[in-house]
Amino acid sequence: MVGKTKYIPTIGIECHVQLSTKTKLFSEVDNDARQKSPNSCVSPVDYGLPGMLPRLNKAAVRYAVRAGLALNSKINLESRFDRKHYFYPDLPKGYQTTQLFYPIIGEGYVELPSGGKVRIEHAHLEEDAGKLSHENGDSLVDLNRAGTPLVEIVSMPDIHSAVEAREYTKELWRLMTYAGVTFGDLYNGNMRFDVNISIAPEGSDKLGTRAEVKNLNSFRSVERAVEYEIKRQARLLDKGEVVVQETRGWSDATGETTSQRSKEEAQDYRYMPEPDIPPIRLTEKDVVEQKALMGIPLWIYRSFLRKFLSEDIVEVLLDYKNLTDALFQLNSYLCDAMNLTDEKPATNDQRKVLSSKLKKIANLFSSVLLAEENSSLLNDELPTSEQLNTLVEMNEKNELSSTGMKEVFIKFFDPEMHFKDTRTIAKELGVVQENDLGELEKIVDAVLAKPETQKAQEDFKAGQEKVLGFLVGQVMKESRGKANPSAVQDILRQKLQ
Amino acid sequence: MDNMEVNQDTIAHLAKLSDFALTEDESVRLEADINGIVNYISQLDELDTTGVEPTYQVFEMENIWREDEILPQEADREALLGLAKEVKDNQIKVPKVL
Repeated sequence: MVGKTKYIPTIGIECHVQLSTKTKLFSEVDNDARQKSPNSCVSPVDYGLPGMLPRLNKAAVRYAVRAGLALNSKINLESRFDRKHYFYPDLPKGYQTTQLFYPIIGEGYVELPSGGKVRIEHAHLEEDAGKLSHENGDSLVDLNRAGTPLVEIVSMPDIHSAVEAREYTKELWRLMTYAGVTFGDLYNGNMRFDVNISIAPEGSDKLGTRAEVKNLNSFRSVERAVEYEIKRQARLLDKGEVVVQETRGWSDATGETTSQRSKEEAQDYRYMPEPDIPPIRLTEKDVVEQKALMGIPLWIYRSFLRKFLSEDIVEVLLDYKNLTDALFQLNSYLCDAMNLTDEKPATNDQRKVLSSKLKKIANLFSSVLLAEENSSLLNDELPTSEQLNTLVEMNEKNELSSTGMKEVFIKFFDPEMHFKDTRTIAKELGVVQENDLGELEKIVDAVLAKPETQKAQEDFKAGQEKVLGFLVGQVMKESRGKANPSAVQDILRQKLQ
Repeated sequence: MDNMEVNQDTIAHLAKLSDFALTEDESVRLEADINGIVNYISQLDELDTTGVEPTYQVFEMENIWREDEILPQEADREALLGLAKEVKDNQIKVPKVL
């Protein structure tokens, strides 16, 4: 049932990003606990044993700076840690070491690919908690994840639809993976989202009461949870009821949010300055250094791809940094081959040549490599720029049909073939098209001499254009598919005049 | 801290936050102890701290950090799990929460 009142949703998102440092935030143990046995990556510090001193990981600070730069944020040169107290079995110390008063990352913003902008309130460094699993009447605690460095990114409530919420979370994922600060493996919880949602009647100057949906671990579940909450809250308000300010959990299976604990008793975290960790003081030089180490930012990849691809293909490719990197490299390779430099940029004609080549390869990536049945190839080593360039050139010279080009492209991932050059692979596959006109003419003559083509020849001469297709087909068959069909057509027309 | 008074409600609240089960006797003693501590610290209220930056640290240290290298730990999993009351499948077993 849709009520009469139109509601405007207001959404803010907190995102926890696990940093891919070698060790934890405050202890010298392995930070990559994927596929590791429970409690095998732990130290007395992670156990919160009395008398233990946390030792800050310098790399985590550097990664946080990079994350901040990717968010267009001001980096706070001085930042500090605080203790946030709460009792829970996944937090042995009884408090989480975080940054409340002086976070390392200040105000920034994220530009959405569709054009919107979401402001970042701040982002801070903190430690992750352990993992709980529940069985029968008990809970089991695994502290492998306890102490993993996190950057928590807090957005302003600038998001106003479920689609935008999804777009924002996905863009954050890209920004963080392109900045190289996280593995970005959502399945393993490398990024998790808490979404605050409220709705208010259109035109109202007051925000509604918000509900917080915690611990979403995919873009899709962010979108679905927001959709669900908007409907749920609208139904309540339409009936004259109120939205309770509370934490809700999301179930992918049921597609619903459910109340977890209402905040009848306000949280009391008793924040206090962390005396064990002296403040961090960075210099402008430190920040510049990290900027240089971050690699090419996402926006440069995006504007590069948009020069020769439609926006939807750009957005698909940007999810695969290895593919965009390969296109970037191919571009440099082509520019080198054409002797282009910053001082001597491409002319309009040269730019067209470049774009056409890059576009063909990008299309192979998106239509062949990203096809469901080839998804296993994505982790393999990609073809070299040289292989890709020859592939396109052979297609441009009609030595390879577009089908032939795809067949060769797939063989670039064949362990037996990937090291061979493009021409060798094409020859071995027998897909090089015959463009030698003398050769082709011989084949055409042979076909025209066959008794079964006589009727078609007469029909064509009598004006039936359609039978030309049949004759071309016969020639293709005779050449075992290697003839270039458009060349064959030209020769046939000449012969049958 | 302006005239913070610790009463039985405060003690109950703190005990709940820390998941402590207190007997009535313990609760009464804690009220007296904590009041004593708060009163002692409250002497600082006599000072005029206008314009004084809050102290985070008494040592003037900063950037105490280490390189990102995995180091062997003095205590291994067995030693650490040995401290837990109950263990199952290399995990610490606790009463079900939530």
